[in-house]
Amino acid sequence: MTFERAGAVMKRYDVIVVGAGPAGLTASIEAAKNGLKVVVFDENAKPGGQLFKQIHKFFGSKEHKAKMRGFKIGDELLKTASEVGVEVVLNATVIGIFPDKEVTVNIEDQLIHYKGDAIIVATGATENMVTFEGWTLPGVIGAGAAQTMMNLHSVKPGNKVLMLGSGNVGLVVSYQLLQAGCEVVAVIDAAPRIGGYGVHASKVTRCGVPFYLSHTIIKAEGDTRVTGVTVGEVDGNWQIIEGTQKYFEADTICLAVGLSPMSQLLKMAGCTMEQDPKKGGLVPVCNQYGETSISGIFVAGDVSGIEEASSAMIEGKISGIAAAYSLGYIDEESLVTKAKVLEASLRSLRQGMFAPENRGKILDKTEEGYDISMNLLKRGYLTEEEVESYPGVKSKKGIHPVIECSQNIPCNPCQDACSKKCILIGEKITSLPVVDKEATCTGCGMCVAACSGQSIFLVDESQEEGYTYITIPYEFLPLPKKGDIGLALNRSGSEVGQAEVVKVKTAKAYDHTHLLTIKVPTELGLKVRFFKQLQEVLV
Amino acid sequence: MSKIRDRSIDIGTYCPQPDDQLIICRCEEITKGEIRQAIYDGMHTLTELRRFLRTGMGPCQGQSCSKIIQGILARELKISHLELEPAMSRAPMRPIEMSVLGNEVKGGE
Ligand SMILES: Cc1cc2nc3c(=O)[nH]c(=O)nc-3n(C[C@H](O)[C@H](O)[C@H](O)COP(=O)(O)OP(=O)(O)OC[C@H]3O[C@@H](n4cnc5c(N)ncnc54)[C@H](O)[C@@H]3O)c2cc1C
Ligand code: SF4
Ligand code: SF4
Repeated sequence: MTFERAGAVMKRYDVIVVGAGPAGLTASIEAAKNGLKVVVFDENAKPGGQLFKQIHKFFGSKEHKAKMRGFKIGDELLKTASEVGVEVVLNATVIGIFPDKEVTVNIEDQLIHYKGDAIIVATGATENMVTFEGWTLPGVIGAGAAQTMMNLHSVKPGNKVLMLGSGNVGLVVSYQLLQAGCEVVAVIDAAPRIGGYGVHASKVTRCGVPFYLSHTIIKAEGDTRVTGVTVGEVDGNWQIIEGTQKYFEADTICLAVGLSPMSQLLKMAGCTMEQDPKKGGLVPVCNQYGETSISGIFVAGDVSGIEEASSAMIEGKISGIAAAYSLGYIDEESLVTKAKVLEASLRSLRQGMFAPENRGKILDKTEEGYDISMNLLKRGYLTEEEVESYPGVKSKKGIHPVIECSQNIPCNPCQDACSKKCILIGEKITSLPVVDKEATCTGCGMCVAACSGQSIFLVDESQEEGYTYITIPYEFLPLPKKGDIGLALNRSGSEVGQAEVVKVKTAKAYDHTHLLTIKVPTELGLKVRFFKQLQEVLV
Repeated sequence: MSKIRDRSIDIGTYCPQPDDQLIICRCEEITKGEIRQAIYDGMHTLTELRRFLRTGMGPCQGQSCSKIIQGILARELKISHLELEPAMSRAPMRPIEMSVLGNEVKGGE
């Protein structure tokens, strides 16, 4: 079927999807699987949206592709998309959506009109900015930009970086900056508590990065580019407290202060919009299937509310199925049954301490009644006393896992990783992992490598008199070698002694997380959580 | 979001602030002072500010500054930023050369 307009023929698709990120790709796969003719336009040269920058392992559970690295999820989605016949057009910017679902796309030097029976908008989000004196100097960049430079283009954004923002994006990018060989001089946040997952914060802290909460940037120093940053502590009214100014030498300032839905296309199309601070800004009003006020125009992913790739993928599936239903490819019963399963999966991700409904609340107990560490929220690490209070930490003879995961986050790959049933989370994926003292740990290391938060360590006091062997997840290059002597760092990143590498284990199943076993004097066994190579120190 | 704004409300007169020289819209190089001044000159919506000053009309199309400007406007009008209607969205979504805009084709030919 073709459409006649002004004597010309417009190419027609059942569904036009805007954006080839996790939401757009899953939406198009679902739609194509149900028999629809689908095209996806993305303005980037590479498909995958944010996923292709994400080199870390994801949270969630198996159905949400947990413990897989973001870019691999992207690869998988692309492969499936091509198998089911989705047409992916890159370097194609959608610049307008008009009545009757006409879409204009800029491809090379042409402006091409297409016609869809349904449109799914999955354009994602843009990074927020903050202003301070000097914010327009070269060297002030978004955290997402830093991630793109490092992980897509292999360019180091700078040598000494200050990160503003302690949400998951700030924490994840700080860690990736360390992996790229940058020094992160500090992570600061105007909020009084760390915004992201405790496990993400801990892995940055133990590398020696300090956190300054209730702090903000006063000024980026430098004439032609950033040479330093002055920060200061803020009071309850966000005013700088006199005398708290601190100066950091830095050549880069990364801003990770939130994202805003990129919803302009929907506003342009005439969809009813609303301002929702919980969703990150201006979003279209939509029903449970992601259908906007204009029938046949759907949304999925960050554009409909800032969340995660895992939820974006489920929303994408739902909108793909809903589009199939709206065009008569599936019946209502089939829509309702499929959507029910997906909605349950979405709900399981939206639970726990970081659930949308808990945003802004101060919780002091976990769902199980354990105290939530305030030290973790303010300084980025658990104290030794605190660590011992959680159900994942039990002392035992012989090799055993020590799980320093203390918040209710939607994550359970550790449970799936252990075939010996040493680790239990249960039905509810936000529950804290519990170590079963009776189960026998073989020291296989699968749990250490699978833990997306790098919060599982293996401790063994039975190997050598006077020493404790600690196995830590390690994702830095160059890899230390057996026999290397280095610095033993504790949870706060302070040096507490020396450690010797006794084993370096690399396996395909570990997916690029190396297992470093170090030995330290027994009295340090409960303290040491990171190994710093000496040559690194000398540079 | 309210679509109607009562312009009879007196917001007082513009008084300079120490950080008025701060550039807010980088693409069009418009300062905080210029934006604040324009508000006291009667630009009470984001669309008006945009038409008057060109804030958010440069290459990034307001992706960095629109939220910041929304905050400045809300503060000067002493209202919540949630009450402000975002500026108009119109095609083209991204800056585009006139030659491309003129080179329209129907897909599939
Ligand atoms: C540092 C960082 C770490 C993260 N870590 C995790 C994590 O561990 N787990 C997790 O689940 N989530 C994580 N996320 C969140 C996750 O990346 C996003 O929620 C997810 O990518 C949103 O998917 P999306 O498809 O909605 O948007 P995107 O991935 O942003 O994709 C949108 C796509 O639309 C395209 N597009 C936009 N406008 C147009 C247009 N006009 N024309 C054509 N194409 C257009 C863009 O080019 C882009 O490819 C992280 C995010 C960041 C920044
Ligand atoms: S090391 Fe292996 S056996 Fe031991 S807890 Fe971890 S996964 Fe289970
Ligand atoms: S310990 Fe388990 S639940 Fe906690 S971050 Fe690691 S894998 Fe996730």
